[in-house]
Amino acid sequence: MRLEMGTFPVQKMTFGSRTRYQDGHLEVDKAAVLEAVQYDPRIATVALEIAYPGESVRIWPVRDVIEPRLKVEGPGVTYPGICGRSITTVGEGRTHRLSGMGITEVSSVNWHDAGGDYVEIYLDMSGPWADLLPLSKLIHLCVVVEPDPGLGNEAQNDAVHKAALVVNDQIAAATRHLTPPEREIFELHEVDPALPKVVYIWCVHSPQAMSGSPTAFCTATYGLTQLTPPWFLHPNEILDGALTGPYRTAFAMSWTVANNPLLLDLYRRHGVDWNFVGVIALRTEWTTQHEKQLMANQAAKLARQLGAQGAVLTWDAGGNEFIEVVRTIQACEQLGIKTVFLTSEDDATDAAPTMLEPLLEADAIVSTTFFKTRTLALPDMPPVQRVIGVQQKAIGPLRDQLVPTAGSLPPPPRYDDHYGFTTLSCIEY
Amino acid sequence: MISAIYDLALTTGANRVIRGARIEHVCGDPNLGPEKDYAYGMRIVRTALEAVQTAVTGPTLFDPMDMALEREVSHAS
Repeated sequence: MRLEMGTFPVQKMTFGSRTRYQDGHLEVDKAAVLEAVQYDPRIATVALEIAYPGESVRIWPVRDVIEPRLKVEGPGVTYPGICGRSITTVGEGRTHRLSGMGITEVSSVNWHDAGGDYVEIYLDMSGPWADLLPLSKLIHLCVVVEPDPGLGNEAQNDAVHKAALVVNDQIAAATRHLTPPEREIFELHEVDPALPKVVYIWCVHSPQAMSGSPTAFCTATYGLTQLTPPWFLHPNEILDGALTGPYRTAFAMSWTVANNPLLLDLYRRHGVDWNFVGVIALRTEWTTQHEKQLMANQAAKLARQLGAQGAVLTWDAGGNEFIEVVRTIQACEQLGIKTVFLTSEDDATDAAPTMLEPLLEADAIVSTTFFKTRTLALPDMPPVQRVIGVQQKAIGPLRDQLVPTAGSLPPPPRYDDHYGFTTLSCIEY
Repeated sequence: MISAIYDLALTTGANRVIRGARIEHVCGDPNLGPEKDYAYGMRIVRTALEAVQTAVTGPTLFDPMDMALEREVSHAS
């Protein structure tokens, strides 16, 4: 499976008379893009706004950030399976991406009605919160969208996310006939058999248990969000968007999944430092010990069948999902697969362990600092001049206080750098 | 402790652990219907009461669905 990735860096974005890309300048035909979104009768209102890094801007509520990607050659479409898109297997041919920007889905639609999981992410384009997030270094094309309020929650989720994907297709299409300024070939070619085989076990949350629905919107494999046994994915499929966000942190967006530095580093050093055999995507939040242990056993079995001598493992959630995660590490180690765990740490106040189940087999851990922003001791974020999206925000432990979004705000509750974007750790020297 | 993720309870040192149903409904199963759900819940609670009167030497699992209430000695690592 060979994929050529053509990159079009975006340094400037403006609204213009037609959607086109030239020398780092993306012009967006606002009227045409809005018309394409409004073709879906489920959409009640939609607007487009641009935000630049360094501006005194707050974007709220941020449901997802998507990197514009387009399949130019080869089967399928980017971000396959989501909102009814083709489920043709992707990862071959040529894909174009627009780097340095994100299509940002801004809507008050919550993930599901079951409670317990709320959209909590806002982005600041400057200030202390912006300094901590790779997303705040992007130019954002914000799709501020609200669906027909008469729709059920899942239809609302589908409608607003599809709107963002329509914008993706409109924007990325501007590069279809252009020659990419940067190209990179991604291929798991034959390598020196002496190199150690390494697999990436990528744990992704499923919303099924918490929402009670197998079709609730969230992190997806080919658009599927339900609890499923481990998937074996070629990394090219992920580069084409077969694994996507969003979930509840700024690091679990579709953009961050597609730009996961751990995945890219594993890939780029294939044939140099190791033999990268691919990705096992493990859906998490199974709800019995049996199911959790079964998934751990099966993921480790799959890793062994792939000949893996080493594994790296990440996750994007919290709480009881740690069990299948850490049990997978244990199961791999018991099969002789050396496993490294990239994770944030929980609150260590009162000498509590920073991991829910500290198993001895998890003996090689890279910390990406704390899970909660509270533990990072972040201050309230300063007021901003402009808000993109909803002008009020609920705060407080009971979410019962409405405050102006433009004013001083506590940071979202979760930080949790899942993939090692930043250089923070729990102890800074 | 009644827990759906009973191995976690065992590895973290709870002495008497009763196997619960699922995280969503630890002490019952709404799919059984009201009467059987109640009976199942009662069985879990009775097992817990049994457990609290049983001497143990370390983290021990009690399974409400095990007829003989045989204790499965944990292999906590």
